[in-house]
Amino acid sequence: MRLRAHPVAGAVALAVVGFLWIPILAVAVNSINQNTLMISWGGATAHWYARALHDPNVRTGLTTTIEIALGSTFVSLVIAVSGALWWRAASARARAVYDATVYARIILPEVVFATALFFLFLKTHFPLGIVAIIIGHSVWNSAYAAVIIQARLVSLDPAIEEAAADLGATPWRAFRRVTFAALLPAIIAGGLLTFTFSFDDVVTSYFLGGSSASPLPLVLFGMIRFRITPEINAIGVMVMLFTVTLMGVAVAVFALMGSASRGRRGALAEFYGQ
Amino acid sequence: MQAATALRGRKADSGQTTGRRLGHLLLVPTALWTVAFFLIPLILITVFSFGTENLITFNVDFGWTVSNYAAFGSALYVSTLLRSLALSLGTTAACALLGFPLAFFISRQRPRAQRALLACVIVPFWTSFLVRTYSWVNLLQTDGPIDRLAFGITGHHLQILYSPASIAIGMTYSYLPLMVLPIYVALERINPDLYAAAADLGARPWRQFRRVVFPLARPGLIAGIIIVGVPAMGEYVIPEILGGGKTLMVGNIIVGQYLDVGDYPFGSALAVSLMVILLAMLFALRRVQPAVEPR
Repeated sequence: MRLRAHPVAGAVALAVVGFLWIPILAVAVNSINQNTLMISWGGATAHWYARALHDPNVRTGLTTTIEIALGSTFVSLVIAVSGALWWRAASARARAVYDATVYARIILPEVVFATALFFLFLKTHFPLGIVAIIIGHSVWNSAYAAVIIQARLVSLDPAIEEAAADLGATPWRAFRRVTFAALLPAIIAGGLLTFTFSFDDVVTSYFLGGSSASPLPLVLFGMIRFRITPEINAIGVMVMLFTVTLMGVAVAVFALMGSASRGRRGALAEFYGQ
Repeated sequence: MQAATALRGRKADSGQTTGRRLGHLLLVPTALWTVAFFLIPLILITVFSFGTENLITFNVDFGWTVSNYAAFGSALYVSTLLRSLALSLGTTAACALLGFPLAFFISRQRPRAQRALLACVIVPFWTSFLVRTYSWVNLLQTDGPIDRLAFGITGHHLQILYSPASIAIGMTYSYLPLMVLPIYVALERINPDLYAAAADLGARPWRQFRRVVFPLARPGLIAGIIIVGVPAMGEYVIPEILGGGKTLMVGNIIVGQYLDVGDYPFGSALAVSLMVILLAMLFALRRVQPAVEPR
């Protein structure tokens, strides 16, 4: 007999989903609300969107954010992919050390990490700005990417690579056509995830941006703290649509390529009569 | 049979030696980044947390002093540390209490409904964290929607914005998906035959839940507690927005010491003690974990 979820669990579950979505709906509603205090509904307007789109701080903030997100995604993927490939051939003890540093980079509170890196850059006279932020983001972003890529690599059967070698593929060709091809969905998914995390970051950028770089989240953070305006909601809706579209693409790519490679492996398994 | 095993052994061996040789090079990017930009900075602030700042040159003079740690004795820092601890534990508990029923409910649905519900949990997590936190300012403010509802029912204004309660709500809201996902993954791995076996042996649903579901979901729950509780302790942005500058957590004091006051040794001492508290919490949780490792 199937164990069903108790009605109480169902009620809690639906209430929690509501809890997760109500603030997002409020942002969407207030982004077109004429009432400046956002206490009640004052009629619809596109004014806040127009203001957001013409705000020079928002525009330069967006370009800076995209530059940082692209840079840190690239660096993070290089670190994560090479690390995952190393992990495969490593001894159990070396793997444990590697895993510990990956999880430490994920769970250490960002404030502690950002403070420490800021202090290092200060002492070594490394200039604060876009490059410093890219380095900082890629420290924790590479750990997230490593977890995703490693999960995919573990499920890759070494027999397929051995088969490629047996069939006469050079190591580089075997890597490119088998290993890399199998990892590609995880690389794309990990890349988009790190892009959105970098796109959304406040604390690391706040410490490492100095006076020269202020990405969009810092512009928003300043607005939120010093002047409450519905323009923030309009920017929020646009940012949300952008990141959700990106992640939607990531999920679609992952699902599509995941099933394609399962199909390939399925065919191989059939060939071996398993 | 024996030949096949021997062949497999030889292949694994040759694969391993080439892998090892390449392996050393492949570790370079990770090692460089982790050592240079993660471990060295953390060691640096630990060392400098025992130093003093020269008030004339603004240089940090290094010398073994515990004066930066002695400053914790002041009531302000003790109360802030305790408040951060309470908010972190409260957030973690609230996330577990709300997240477990949700994860369990999701895991008992048909695949299509599971995917839709998971999307409902993950999509908010992807989108602008700052704007979602800010949204609570509008929702919780006096005469805002939630306050009006409360006023209609009780005749009193809520007045929870810019209090520890509003920080706790904002933190629970932000961290909840991080609790739901590992619990869901653990529940999803449970072999459904176990439920059937428990039912056949006469276990009623509640007993099934208590004796089968909960013990097997515990590793997921503990993972959730770690990835919520540890970062929550050092939260900076949420108290900054929902605390209104009044209710501060240790993260806010660290940022203040670094970026506003410029007292690096004291800021470092705060950051290092936060790290030590979190390490102690992790070790405490590790003692719980081995007993529940799934087979």
